[in-house]
Amino acid sequence: MSFSKIKRRDFLKIMGWGGVGATLVGCDLPTTVTLEEGKEKVVSYLMPEEYVIPGVGVWYASTCQQCPSGCGIHGRVREGRVLKLEGNPASSVNKGRLCQMGQASLQAHYNPDRIAKPKIRRGSSLVDATWEEAYGLIAEKTANISGSKFAWMTGSVSGHQSVLLQAYLESIGSGNHFVHETINNAVWAKVCQDMLGDSNPRIRLDKAQSMLSFGADFLGTWGSPLHFSTEYAKFRTSPRGTLIQVEPNMTLTGANADLWVASRPGSEGALALGIANQLVSKQGLSMSGLPNSVQSLIRSYTLDETVTATGVDADRIADIAATLKRRSPSVVLAGASAQGHEHGYQCVAAAMVLNVILGNIGKTIESNGEFAYASMAPVSGNTHSLVSFSQAAADKRFDVVFFSGVNPVYTAPKSLGLKESLANIPFKVVFSHFNDETTAMADVVLPLASTEEDWGTHVAPYQAGVGEISIQQPLMEPLSTETRGFGDIVLTLLKKRKETAYEGFADYYAYLRNAFSTIPAEHKNGASDEQFWTDVLAAGLIDVGVKKTSLKVKGVEFDMPKEMGNSSAMILAPSARLGFWDGRHANLPWLQEAPDQISKVVWDSWAELHPSTAKKIGVKEGDMVKIASASGEINVKVYIYKGVHPDVIAVPLGQGHDAGFSRYAKDRGVNSLSILDPKVDKMTGELALYSTNVKVTKAAKTDDVLVRFGGSETQVGRKLVSTIPADVYERTEGGDHVA
Amino acid sequence: MSLSNLIDDWSRYRKGREEGGFHDYEHMWGMSIDLNKCIGCNACSVACYAENNLAVVGKEKFEKGQGMHWLRVERYWDEPDLGEERTSEFQQHGASFLPMMCQQCNAATCEPVCPVAATYHTPDGLNAQVYNRCIGSRYCSNNCPFRLRYFNFWSYYEDSWPAPLQMQLNPDISVRDMGVMEKCTFCVQRIRTVKDTARMEDRKVRDGEVQTACSQTCPTGAIEFGDMLGMYDPETGVAETRVTKMWRKHQVELGKTKQNKQTPEMRGYRVFEFLNTDPCVMYLDRVREV
Repeated sequence: MSFSKIKRRDFLKIMGWGGVGATLVGCDLPTTVTLEEGKEKVVSYLMPEEYVIPGVGVWYASTCQQCPSGCGIHGRVREGRVLKLEGNPASSVNKGRLCQMGQASLQAHYNPDRIAKPKIRRGSSLVDATWEEAYGLIAEKTANISGSKFAWMTGSVSGHQSVLLQAYLESIGSGNHFVHETINNAVWAKVCQDMLGDSNPRIRLDKAQSMLSFGADFLGTWGSPLHFSTEYAKFRTSPRGTLIQVEPNMTLTGANADLWVASRPGSEGALALGIANQLVSKQGLSMSGLPNSVQSLIRSYTLDETVTATGVDADRIADIAATLKRRSPSVVLAGASAQGHEHGYQCVAAAMVLNVILGNIGKTIESNGEFAYASMAPVSGNTHSLVSFSQAAADKRFDVVFFSGVNPVYTAPKSLGLKESLANIPFKVVFSHFNDETTAMADVVLPLASTEEDWGTHVAPYQAGVGEISIQQPLMEPLSTETRGFGDIVLTLLKKRKETAYEGFADYYAYLRNAFSTIPAEHKNGASDEQFWTDVLAAGLIDVGVKKTSLKVKGVEFDMPKEMGNSSAMILAPSARLGFWDGRHANLPWLQEAPDQISKVVWDSWAELHPSTAKKIGVKEGDMVKIASASGEINVKVYIYKGVHPDVIAVPLGQGHDAGFSRYAKDRGVNSLSILDPKVDKMTGELALYSTNVKVTKAAKTDDVLVRFGGSETQVGRKLVSTIPADVYERTEGGDHVA
Repeated sequence: MSLSNLIDDWSRYRKGREEGGFHDYEHMWGMSIDLNKCIGCNACSVACYAENNLAVVGKEKFEKGQGMHWLRVERYWDEPDLGEERTSEFQQHGASFLPMMCQQCNAATCEPVCPVAATYHTPDGLNAQVYNRCIGSRYCSNNCPFRLRYFNFWSYYEDSWPAPLQMQLNPDISVRDMGVMEKCTFCVQRIRTVKDTARMEDRKVRDGEVQTACSQTCPTGAIEFGDMLGMYDPETGVAETRVTKMWRKHQVELGKTKQNKQTPEMRGYRVFEFLNTDPCVMYLDRVREV
């Protein structure tokens, strides 16, 4: 190996352990790993190891990649095939549980429509090529590129993939890393950073007695849904916490609320300030910690003013305030529908102000600590990056762009003009599993190994006070000999750029193996190198701890536009679901056939309307409506129920994949992101997803029917789901923690 | 066969668990599902698809009611017990979710009607379906008050698992073909594996050792699964399993048509208990702050 040329500090950096300072004293270059070990291969289970008994499943730990939460998983392997995934009980993220997206990860792996070979564009079509051709072309196009002309767009990324990715960007001299996720907490993170000094505080649902959530779908799409589901179970155990959800259309979390309040999108901030006003004026709480301007803003949101601004009943507003005070400690959260406005930052900030007034900081909102190794720390995606990338592409700033883990052509509203601007980028390389919208526009397609075939390390973006690195290891041999792991590809690209530091690593496995040999000794607990590695693989993770931090409440001034929430125009709500997520799972048949949690629609898109609105438009369930914004229109069938604000039409994300995206997603439904206006939150630049005004009219019915699971929307008087009031529950089971 | 014979036979069958004579039960697998914790996320249902080789039938067949979801999460908008939803403008207490799988009735109405005894009660207390004996009369499905039996109107093995999706199929159980009735088995293949292991290790099955796919994956731990006969643990001397503890706590007993609860407010109930089928799945009331 050519390590002798590299300084120790540089070496630690390429291994991802840089940035820990003093803890590294005494840590030397690896002596226990030989070159031979570096070439170690994963042996197929078709040649059974001694401990493999045909007919008996063996469980291996890995990490789920279906969403950025980074849940630990166990894969059941039998006769060389992975058959079933379960949660890894050792993972602090999901504690042995798994959601439907995680379960369906196997269908992404075994999907019949996966890309099996590299492709290169010849004229208007992509044709099969070899890896050497693909690498050769990339080397040619990036040979003399200046850093500013190169960009890489990824989804949320962490661990050693992040280290290598940054190394590649550095080798080109580029700082253009765009990290994009449509489903994100970017505004919440910014507000937490500004007001608490920590962008990712720990939320103690287990300690909270009441919860007010402004569109934070923490059971479905907010933060780390599985983690919060496990915490929710504690929240609902006696003494049972009360959940109040305020949102324009019902999310999975809203469906579980004790009180669900419909809000006109954009009025969330006003409602939060109105509740703050009640807490101060009627409940005797102090707002002395807040800046004067915010105090006077709260004073201005009297009950009458709030009712006018939000349309929510006065009694209800007073009730919510009283409940939060009575059931202390509380916690107030804000999510997608609260942040998706031009004043999204203010809406979220107003929610955070409630936490300050209620004294929740330090009680139910704590510091989470900081992951110790900066270069491996999770980088969470946002939509600001999508907007700025679209602009840069339109301005012809890039000659070569890599895309991995994202499908911006699908997730970008048409009004951003991204699809057209991509023509300005002469050379586009897409790392991909499927022929999605972005892949279809690539010049070179690099077929990726599936989650179940690849190596990796992941640091979950939300961890409850621990710093776990979760291992992703192959659960079986690759299905296609022509797919490559992400780490392997980036490592090869680095070698092609003559980065000598990486020449010693035969493949990504060797790199990772080496990284774990060079891990600071304090994490090894005295185990031998080989033992340590085996233990980490068996456990699926290692906790390297966090740097302790503390929250510091800072006064942040903000205003609230008065005129919002009064307009009579309909607003489009592109709500996200635990299922298709941002559309990336529409190719999984299990999820297509799994009824939507709320509407129970299968294999289709639908628009949610309130009965009063439906009556006004003159439509009934299954009828077609045309939804027209300034940026385009979609036709979609309607589902009518009382879980949506009368001014809102909600079209959940997932379907409408133009490029096909597998036989399961092809020609199915619509993509509601496509017709959004290009508005952004003025403070953070995040796309304002819940602020597009639309005109909804009845459209001609087609032969295509809306298929839903279940015949009846009501129990027709039968005792199917029996409900009791919470006070009865407290009387019979209060303080009783049996089970 | 006289009518009185028929009634006597049925009565003896119905009381088989309490009075013996029909079965000597090794186990009596049962569940407790807490609707206060269930969030309706559907993880259980997809886990079931993955574990049990359930066919994906596609939109057209799903529309005809041919979906094969052994475990389905029903969602209702009304709350008959709270009685105010009908008039309110919004769905203000959210939704009511109900995960429904075969209730493994001890006096199952599906069993006696099978002309070929393809569905029968096992010594594990399970309501089993013998696929290769089934002739597809669908009488059982017709007789199931919960509509939890699923019929293979088609052969799905080509459409549902185009290569290489078939590689995911669980080799521990079969893929069912056209003309066969199928249903939730409480993951009988997992029960079998654990029982075999215990036997080889010359010990009894431990509580919590068998987990159904739905119970294992449930994000909130709403589904408890275990042996209703209890499991004697030599270390603690306790014969109660987690699931029997739940049933006792919530004062629901097997073999009863109407529960005589000391504390009527305890949350346990069985769906359609009055139909006298003696289900082995107990639900716990959903709770809402009103």
